[in-house]
Amino acid sequence: MPNDIELFIDNRPVRVPAGSTILQACKAAGVDIPTLCHMEKVSSNASCGICVVELEGAKSLVRSCVQAASPGLKVQSASPRVMEARRTVTELLLANHPDDCLSCLRNNSCELQAIAERMGVRKKPFPRTRKPAKPDTIGLAIMRDNDKCILCGRCVAVCRETQGVSAIDFAGRGVRSHIAPFMDKALSQSVCVSCGLCTLVCPTGALTERDECDEVFAELYDPKKVVVVQTAPAIRASLGEALGLEPGSLVTGKMASALRRLGFDKVFDTQFTADLTIMEEGSELLHRLGNGGTLPMITSCSPGWINFIETFYPSLLPHLSSCKSPQQMFGALAKSYWAEKAGVDPASVVVVSIMPCTAKKHEAKRPEMRDAWLWWKEKGAESEPYFDVDYALTTRELARMIRRAGIDFAGLPEEDFDDPLGRSTGAATIFGATGGVMEAAARTAYELVTGKALPGIELEAVRGFDGIRDAELDMNGTKLKVAVAHTLKNARALLDGIAAGTSPYAFIEVMSCPGGCLGGGGQPVSTDWKKREARRQAIYREDRSLPERKSHDNPSVQVLYKEFLGKPLGHLSHELLHTEYKQRSV
Amino acid sequence: MGTAKSTGLSAGQSLSATGTRCAPAEEELLRSVEAIAARHRGKPGALLAVLEECQRVDPHHYLSENTLCLIGQAMGEPLSRIYSVATFYSYYNLSPQGDHVIVVCRGTACHTRGSLGLLQEALSILGASEYREDEEASFTTDDKRFTVRTVACFGQCALAPVVAIDGVIYSRMTSSALKSAIEASARGGKK
Repeated sequence: MPNDIELFIDNRPVRVPAGSTILQACKAAGVDIPTLCHMEKVSSNASCGICVVELEGAKSLVRSCVQAASPGLKVQSASPRVMEARRTVTELLLANHPDDCLSCLRNNSCELQAIAERMGVRKKPFPRTRKPAKPDTIGLAIMRDNDKCILCGRCVAVCRETQGVSAIDFAGRGVRSHIAPFMDKALSQSVCVSCGLCTLVCPTGALTERDECDEVFAELYDPKKVVVVQTAPAIRASLGEALGLEPGSLVTGKMASALRRLGFDKVFDTQFTADLTIMEEGSELLHRLGNGGTLPMITSCSPGWINFIETFYPSLLPHLSSCKSPQQMFGALAKSYWAEKAGVDPASVVVVSIMPCTAKKHEAKRPEMRDAWLWWKEKGAESEPYFDVDYALTTRELARMIRRAGIDFAGLPEEDFDDPLGRSTGAATIFGATGGVMEAAARTAYELVTGKALPGIELEAVRGFDGIRDAELDMNGTKLKVAVAHTLKNARALLDGIAAGTSPYAFIEVMSCPGGCLGGGGQPVSTDWKKREARRQAIYREDRSLPERKSHDNPSVQVLYKEFLGKPLGHLSHELLHTEYKQRSV
Repeated sequence: MGTAKSTGLSAGQSLSATGTRCAPAEEELLRSVEAIAARHRGKPGALLAVLEECQRVDPHHYLSENTLCLIGQAMGEPLSRIYSVATFYSYYNLSPQGDHVIVVCRGTACHTRGSLGLLQEALSILGASEYREDEEASFTTDDKRFTVRTVACFGQCALAPVVAIDGVIYSRMTSSALKSAIEASARGGKK
């Protein structure tokens, strides 16, 4: 390439594109420089000092994550001086870090722990300089322990740059510097939307999901409980990775096996209610289009997104589809339709969901999400109120449960989901990727309106990882402009268009996390774009392999309407599958 | 520092930046904060100037949580960012200040010439509990008449130890001089 430059890493020549950092040049030369604060496409504030290298002719060491490579540069990546500096930096970080690795949620997945091992730290020579911090444990979704924080700033960067939420920032100065929400309140008392991207990028155990493995194990061993599980579409493309398989491993059958071995009484699938969501949401869209309803209509599957619009754009709430998310539709149906059909006491049913998401924990505990209980109450059943969904575990928590139970995941046979809430189509699988809900809706809406299948079935225009993508659907002469956004910062851009009255769209899909649920805040840590792409490929592979690829073709969904719900948007649907939103005051 | 700006919102839309809205009863206060914000809009470091002015006009010379919320709303800045800036600079007070402010220099020169004793003396005269070295010291009497705080260095090391009372710097301060200066302020009532 004409724009390439040549430099020398450890006396070996390497050619890289002009504008590369020394870190990137080292990578190209096969030299892995350790980093803590730097994270590709997330943050690079050169605060940690781990990535230093020595340059010939330069007096001091330089931070390779921000220093540009230049022609002829001679870099020493592992000289004694470099190694000594890196080790000292690590020891300084450890001075204020608690020695509780063995009981830390990030034991074995902690970047600081890995760096300490790699730098050959064998002692803690420096005394503590800051006062122990009090952990923030009151949130339903995310826990914060500033004592484990190394002030790398990745969480601040994702919250601000990726999401445009800015729930946290650096506060204080010098030895009192710390990460804090406004007024040092709890995260759950701030504008935090619980998306969990901070837990995905935190190198240590300072930011984690609320771990509920113990509670779920206790339910599984309670003979009085009927414990059913539902799995989100994106889990099948990431659980294998969390358990040591290649990124992008598709483990649908092994996952069902593992869940059965953990002791779940029924292994169901959130994809069943993803198909149902398409029936309800597609009908809602056509209803809005035909009756002068509020447009554009925006999807409501992603609970971080719901928290976001309720907090920052309450005046635009009428644009949200009234459909509950598939997780909540599932909970409401499992404790009404299924409990009745199976002849079990709904109060003894425990619904556990496996989600790529931390915000799902918050969503499950929204006070209004007890519709199955209300439904039974209206029928005269008496019991203490219960939630539709009892526990929402992240991919990481399920992986921990499988490891704890000693299940050899890679060696498991492939098993199927249980009927009837385990049946789904390819349209439901692609809910796990940004653009997937839109494509699934298009497959069904197009057919409902035109009586013909969507040509080619796949809607390429809304696939991929561009921040905002749009398309025009021609349905019997009716042109429908649709848009897809992932990350809340991109969602904000579309919302500002709606607020300004310039939005040309009829239907918008929003997912909170980069890449959609496959890049969710509850996914395996150290998620990067390469892994997101591998998971995306896996999701579309699954779609292509399923016998049915359109939600309205799901035979169990058809039975559900015939036996129970009647028709989409019918009375029972409104009671169990739809919800209302309100301004979230902080 | 680009994101807050990139929201590109006018004051009226600022809910979309901060996620909070002031109570209707505070509309008037919001107008005055908005007026201050409008004077500084577009200038580099506008937030610093707005914080400074809001602190100055406050009867107790501090930035209350409510004031910070209003600044966020008026400027379209995330509250975590405002809190970050307000806690970084020692100039900003996040708790009500007394009518009289005593600032004891805790720089190295002043320390070697006994500023810790002066600080403890001032605190004990005003009835404060023991001074803890690990905290950023700021003590205000219950009647809001006196505040005692420390500063890292006044830059008057040759005249150490240095104490400022209501903005006037006293050099080569002694325990007895400090005592009479505080008593004089107390007699003088509100400054």
